[in-house]
Amino acid sequence: MIEVEHLSKTYGSTPAITDVTFNVEQGEILGLLGPNGAGKTTTMRILAGYLPATSGTARIAGFDVHKNSLAVRQRIGYLPETPPLYPEMTVLSFLNFVARIKGVSAGDRTNKVQAAIERCNLQDKHHVIIRKLSKGYRQRVGIAQAIVHDPPAIILDEPTVGLDPRQIIEVRNLIKSLAGSHTIIISTHILPEVSMVCSRVAIINSGKVVAMNTPENLRTQLTGGSGYELEIEGDAALAKQVLSQLPGVSLVESVPTPGMHEYSPLQENRTFLRVISQPGTELGGEIAAALMRAGFSLQQMRRVSATLEDVFLQLTTEEKNLEIDTQTAETKEEGAA
Amino acid sequence: MHVVLSNIIAIYRRELQSYFVSPLAYVIAGVFWFISGLFLVMILLGPDGILAYATAKDLEAQQYGVSLPPIDFSYEFVRAFLDSMGSLLLFMLPILSMGLYAEERKRGTLELLATSPVTNWAVAVGKLLGVLTFFITMLVPLLGFEAIALSGSSPPMPLTIPLLGHFALILLAAAILSLGMFISSLTDSTILSAVLTFAVILLLVFIDVIAKNISGPFGTALGYLSLLKHYNILIQGIIDTSSLILFASYIFLGIFLTAQSINALRFQR
Repeated sequence: MIEVEHLSKTYGSTPAITDVTFNVEQGEILGLLGPNGAGKTTTMRILAGYLPATSGTARIAGFDVHKNSLAVRQRIGYLPETPPLYPEMTVLSFLNFVARIKGVSAGDRTNKVQAAIERCNLQDKHHVIIRKLSKGYRQRVGIAQAIVHDPPAIILDEPTVGLDPRQIIEVRNLIKSLAGSHTIIISTHILPEVSMVCSRVAIINSGKVVAMNTPENLRTQLTGGSGYELEIEGDAALAKQVLSQLPGVSLVESVPTPGMHEYSPLQENRTFLRVISQPGTELGGEIAAALMRAGFSLQQMRRVSATLEDVFLQLTTEEKNLEIDTQTAETKEEGAA
Repeated sequence: MHVVLSNIIAIYRRELQSYFVSPLAYVIAGVFWFISGLFLVMILLGPDGILAYATAKDLEAQQYGVSLPPIDFSYEFVRAFLDSMGSLLLFMLPILSMGLYAEERKRGTLELLATSPVTNWAVAVGKLLGVLTFFITMLVPLLGFEAIALSGSSPPMPLTIPLLGHFALILLAAAILSLGMFISSLTDSTILSAVLTFAVILLLVFIDVIAKNISGPFGTALGYLSLLKHYNILIQGIIDTSSLILFASYIFLGIFLTAQSINALRFQR
């Protein structure tokens, strides 16, 4: 449905995006994830036909976004970073206007505007002047204008920014309900949002796609299997050696700061280690046994699993190795859900 | 074609709607009515007004016992009034045109228009028609003033001359607004847009003064570009095709440049 091939864009001599390639299948929700300034907005603007690319092609529903701009514009709904609203208009007249310029026929207009109002929960605000709406409602009007003409492809640039938690959940549900019949690209820097809403994620950093997969696969693919955090008494170097000789262990590292652990004088001689095993292996028992055999006393052991946040930080900070970041965020993501 | 037309109408309607709720539009209309009313009174009744002038002429004729050619009182009035309106427009219109695109740029709604299946042309034409309609609405009360002033004229004033004069006024406004719209599309500051428009209009108005100081064909050519010169020809009641073409060219040029500038805007960024 949406095909992006080797897309590049430079502003003057500064590259905004370089060689971005991805595909979005019909009915999918793709999340563009990246830190600020990574090139998410640029990519979306090119797709919406607002900016021309320096090189490369992008097609929506088979039409080139630049050469067949009008055909593409008929088939997309686009919510820019700041919702494009006329503050002096009422919600209803604004949506009617948008429906008109998007080419919705006169007979269809009332129904489609009404449907968009209902989908975005704007029923009790539709006669209010946009200037008087709160930021959350404005954002919803922005989403409503992107879907009012029922376009096959929807591009939403940070759709949940400025919403309160309840509205965020509503908007996410709204986006999920649009999938299937619509193809959607959303950009966000909120990590849990991606795993909740998107069927696939493209992580963008400094204008390049650094990873692309389903949220689950990304986690496992990039962090290996499960990991354990250990607190042991004894020589750290020796313990590392012992552990790294175990079959299935891909990485052993010391944790520089004890993090959430209480630090007491009793722990003078203690070391904190993190062990990461290869995908599909469960090494808890082996690790414990190996440590016992070597004469270490194991004070604490717990499983850590990488969150998307860890993946994101790894990919976007310039770390070469694929180790779990210093934060142990085992249930953070579930907690946010 | 049908789609383009319906797009133009959509833009036009939105533009008009926004004037009805804009305090700025009401203030401009109010000031315009006040000043134009003042002009009307001054032209008719002021110390240098037409009435005083005619009385002086009459006295003169009686004194010397010669019969001077009669003055076409109503014609002089319409011409002088429209002439003053022309100068007033130079100050009012930049304020009307300043926000046409600058506001859209500032509010980010240009991104909506540019990603909708609407051509830049249709947007520019719709906007120009919208602001022109607002301007014509502003003229309506003036017709009342003039009707009162002319109702006393005897023999009755033929309608052709005031009609042509008002048509010329609208043409002049359309030309200025069209150029103002283009300038508005260059910036997202409304103030800057108004100041620049004012400067450009001033240049186009007084270009014949400059032209007179340049000899040769270049000077003559420059003289043809003057807006006010052609306006003055038309309000005298002379239908001059070259004047009509000049105004049409300015209007078209403004729309063309606007469409191009919006296009270029997307390429620069």
